Amino acid sequence: MTPDELFAAKKAARKASRRGKAEEEGKLNITSLMDIVSIIVVYLLKSYGSDPVLIMPTSGQKIPMSKADSPIQEGVPVYISKRSITFNNKKIVQIDENGDIDPAALQNHLIGPLYDAMAEEAEKAKTMAANQGKDEWAGRIILVGDQTLKFATLVDVMYTAGRAEYREYALCVIQSNS
Amino acid sequence: MARKRKKMEEAEVEANLIPVMNVMFLLIPALLLAMEVARFAAVNVTPPKFAAQADQKKEKEDKEKPLNLKVFIMDDGYRVSAQGQQEGAEAGKSADSNKPTITLAKPGAPITDFDRYNYAALEAKAKEYKDKYGHETVVTISAENSIPMQVLINTMDALRGSECSLLVPEGEDIPAECYFWQAIVEAGAG
Repeated sequence: MTPDELFAAKKAARKASRRGKAEEEGKLNITSLMDIVSIIVVYLLKSYGSDPVLIMPTSGQKIPMSKADSPIQEGVPVYISKRSITFNNKKIVQIDENGDIDPAALQNHLIGPLYDAMAEEAEKAKTMAANQGKDEWAGRIILVGDQTLKFATLVDVMYTAGRAEYREYALCVIQSNS
Repeated sequence: MARKRKKMEEAEVEANLIPVMNVMFLLIPALLLAMEVARFAAVNVTPPKFAAQADQKKEKEDKEKPLNLKVFIMDDGYRVSAQGQQEGAEAGKSADSNKPTITLAKPGAPITDFDRYNYAALEAKAKEYKDKYGHETVVTISAENSIPMQVLINTMDALRGSECSLLVPEGEDIPAECYFWQAIVEAGAG
């Protein structure tokens, strides 16, 4: 018997055995896949929730690099990009192409609209701390600036935060290994 | 009747996991996008008034003349002063020179070139002061208005020391490799 004849005979036998039987439906067992996916989701949720503050830089913002390794502690972020100052997800003040704050919003180093927003937030935070029975409100502000941010602008923001009773400042940086 | 009930009991109902899987698969990219790609850290700075109080307290404690180290970042380099005396200036005159103590590493480089300052020389200077005043940890940093934030951060890194790690367990001392890690940022100092 040649190999072709053998193959044809085997095929015929298989066809004969299948005759009269309903075609079997292949079932996909997704339980193990479900287990893996659940583990991944739990891991991602845990790593997402472990950071005390979520830093979301605005588009085009380049956060300075540093060798500092101190972790970011809980606080209120203020984003100072090339074109604006953002606080509480609201663009508060515009910055011109030279990196200077809009002169209409600035008076003796105090950024008026930013002060109003910060003072309101500070009041809220103080009330919340009192309701939670905490002795003291931390008053920490996280300054998320840009690499090219002018020192004068940074000082103005710090001065404004100080006037709004924020007492602790942290400059947000990206950790560099070199 | 009894046979029929038995048949009903045996029928296995499988849970349809496909919608749950769909949600899970959507959650994975959403969470990956929300995760931090870069590792963020903080450089803590102290506002001037609190630091001034701390200095006074220290002065009372050990009755030693405080170092009062100040670094002013200028367009053409660093001006360093200690104990109210600018380095290189004539004794008794706090700031008789506008010339920098440490000149630029890359003279003529644009202001956007953050490596134009001589950070290595500043770190060496910080080490020199730290060897003399081991207990001092505070430095006051100020700059000209146009100095970029990256230069300020690099200056703080140099004054803190390149080998410094502030990640120490609570109750343990800050390592000796850390020189001046408590920075006060103020306007118009120097």
